[in-house]
Amino acid sequence: MRVLVLIVNRLLWFVPTLLGLLIITFTITHIIPSDPIAFIAGDNASAEQIAQLKEKFGIDKPIPVQLWNYIVGVAQGDFGKSLYTQRPIADDLVSRLPATLELTLVAVLLAAIIGIPLGVLAAVNRNSWIDHILRIFTVSGLAIAAFWLAILFQLLFAMEWGLTPLQGRVDGWGPDVVTGFFLIDSLIMGDWAVFWDVVHHMILPAITLAFPAMATVMRFTRAGVLDAINSNYVDYQQAMGVPRRVVIWRYVLRNALIGTVTQLGLIFGSLIANGVVVEAVFDWPGLGLYAVQSILQSDYNAIMGFTLVMGTIFIIANLLVDITHGLIDPREAR
Amino acid sequence: MTLLSLKHGLARFGAAAFLALGALTAQPMTAIAGGKFVFANSSAYDTLDPHAVFDVGRVASRINMYDGLMRWQDNPPVLKPWLAEKVDVSDDGLTYTFTLRDAKFHDGSPVEASDVVYSIDRILEMKKGAYSLFEGTIAIGSTKAPDAKTVVFTLSKPSAVFLATVPEIYVVNEEVVTANYDGDDLGTTWLSKNGAGSGSFKLKRYDPAIGWQAERFDDHFFGWDMVDDPLDSIEFRTVVEINSRVLGLMNGDFHGTDGYLPQDQVKRLRDSDDVYVDEQESMRIFYSIIHNGREPMSDQNFRKALSYSFDYDGFINDILSGSVARDPVPLPNNMWGAPADVEGYTYDLEKAKEYLDKVEGDIPEITIGALAGYGQTEQAAALLQNGLNKIGIKTKIVAEPWPVASGKMRDEEQMYDLLFLWKSTYYADPNNWLGEMYACEQIGARNNSWYCNEEVDKLLSEARTSTDQELRKANYEKANMMLMEDAAGIYIYNTKWFGPFNKKVKGVRFSPIGNGQEMRWVSME
Repeated sequence: MRVLVLIVNRLLWFVPTLLGLLIITFTITHIIPSDPIAFIAGDNASAEQIAQLKEKFGIDKPIPVQLWNYIVGVAQGDFGKSLYTQRPIADDLVSRLPATLELTLVAVLLAAIIGIPLGVLAAVNRNSWIDHILRIFTVSGLAIAAFWLAILFQLLFAMEWGLTPLQGRVDGWGPDVVTGFFLIDSLIMGDWAVFWDVVHHMILPAITLAFPAMATVMRFTRAGVLDAINSNYVDYQQAMGVPRRVVIWRYVLRNALIGTVTQLGLIFGSLIANGVVVEAVFDWPGLGLYAVQSILQSDYNAIMGFTLVMGTIFIIANLLVDITHGLIDPREAR
Repeated sequence: MTLLSLKHGLARFGAAAFLALGALTAQPMTAIAGGKFVFANSSAYDTLDPHAVFDVGRVASRINMYDGLMRWQDNPPVLKPWLAEKVDVSDDGLTYTFTLRDAKFHDGSPVEASDVVYSIDRILEMKKGAYSLFEGTIAIGSTKAPDAKTVVFTLSKPSAVFLATVPEIYVVNEEVVTANYDGDDLGTTWLSKNGAGSGSFKLKRYDPAIGWQAERFDDHFFGWDMVDDPLDSIEFRTVVEINSRVLGLMNGDFHGTDGYLPQDQVKRLRDSDDVYVDEQESMRIFYSIIHNGREPMSDQNFRKALSYSFDYDGFINDILSGSVARDPVPLPNNMWGAPADVEGYTYDLEKAKEYLDKVEGDIPEITIGALAGYGQTEQAAALLQNGLNKIGIKTKIVAEPWPVASGKMRDEEQMYDLLFLWKSTYYADPNNWLGEMYACEQIGARNNSWYCNEEVDKLLSEARTSTDQELRKANYEKANMMLMEDAAGIYIYNTKWFGPFNKKVKGVRFSPIGNGQEMRWVSME
């Protein structure tokens, strides 16, 4: 019941949060001295042609009027059209979002699956050689630039050893789109060859994206475990003869994970935002490149659409974090 | 259970994870070969509508899937009849009558004169893409189709460059496009992701996030006899990272990529066993606009001081490793109308000081504009800043993205004092450069220098309307010299194109307008 109240509470904040985000982003994109219409019209367009196009696209109106029109449109499910392609923004987002989400989810999963056990290992071996080696790993993860690591992986695994594809999401154009998540779509189609090909293509970008996240997860897990391991209840359980493995994995880890889960929520949001570098290097057809291109071209509706989607995902990720907190530690839901 | 068993458990988990990874990496990769050519393009194909865009970066979708009445081919570019069998020009230079060949659209319907009329009117109505080439020269509704094979263009005013711009009128299938209108959008939404052309290749698949794929159109009017083993299909993928394009070419994922790569990457490709680099002199000048309408740049002495403060040799030979050709005038040196043996300005700070001393009044801080993300423009700006600092001129560099810069370029107040950029070939006529850049009537539109010299303007105006080729050539040569003498801009180089291709690729025909991306001539061994 308390979890339900928490969810309702968060959902009530959903609309004003997004509205605030929209207003800020809309204002910023429209007040910077950029002229997308001059860009669309081409090098040779005259001032008169540009003015005609501005009128046609409705961006000759005052910013508050444009903002109001935009918000009314969004409320009716209309994200507008791209200034450049005249395609509905929703179509562009829907075609790219699954690629970004799929890569990010796999990266977060990798970060959790590898980072949490290694964090526990570092904590239970505090200041041993294992801890020192893992510390080098975490510092590297936080310090190495993603683009450098990506290129290094490409040179080593794809070019030198030929073990993985260099880039792309799949050979050719991928399975028939059902969900847009190629791993799922290939399974739905029962096409194992494509499934393995997708996995194969995902290895390098997912590891590159996951590497810094893995380091963060490890550090937070290690700190959490160290904090919990010194608690009285741990001494009590050990005194009662509960095996150390059970104490660590059932009791200590559960308490230690609260901080890690919070981080995973934040990591998910930041990986989506930071994925642009990985998407660029590995030619991953996701939202990151779309956003960068839209910003460079000042494609207003595309920028707003991207912001709206990212904001929604971020809010949902944080809601899931709150719910998970409540499940791990019932006191949180009170 | 001890700590040791915990370690063993984790070790087992780790080993299993890496074994799984190894098993995955053992999956076979699908080879890309045969009659499919894959090109890695730096620009995203965000629309396939041939009338919506007019840039060199995405020319491949237009030139391979659509036909125009005429087509530029080879280097130096030669204008050849394409969909048109012949063209007759009236004595007054106002009426152009094209006779069409027998050709089919991809859906099998014939290409008719009404489709050409529809296409030019659509361009004019959309006001995008190549519209600016025809604005003021052709009015909506003025083009007529007296019969299915004849198209008559009636110009509003004489234009010697009209024929040169005709290849940009890509012909779309009127029936197909009009059937897909969404309100008053002229079919742009539909055509942005579908095909309605008659070109050598027919669209098979398109994903704005990936690129497009097209199959050979066997019924293309030009036939396929001239190529021994023409390509079955072509694929143009968007790969924004230079390194990824280069690596992909080296390992055979791609068979070609753009020809304007940095020299270190060109060298890397030349060293690769599977890649060759086709080197051609292109028609894309690099220069700095000078805002002639603002003090102190309105003073010719100051402009000359600017021109003598740029280290041309250092830029061309050290920074760009000699990969471009010095071009001291605003016209590509391989274009007719470019004067021969012009020495141009050199890096000479003594002379710069000499001219600077002649400038009256205080010299304010000069703003040098550069295009963010285009390293060469920022490098050139830094080099000029260095030279100007040495003669005592304070400067600041402002690097901004192209949409910001292009907006400022049209505003006399917001325009930078100087701005480094390129001027590409949209049509192979000197008017593409001189006429657009320096005609007085283009001030604030295409003339972003706010330069207006009556004598130069007269030469340009005469050359733009005259059909006397000798007179045009003489006028452009003279105008070039005058602009250089007047230091209207800082003219630096003409680009060379270094087209990298897989060694299996044969028959690439480079033209500065199509950037070597017209694939109908190409075959794969």
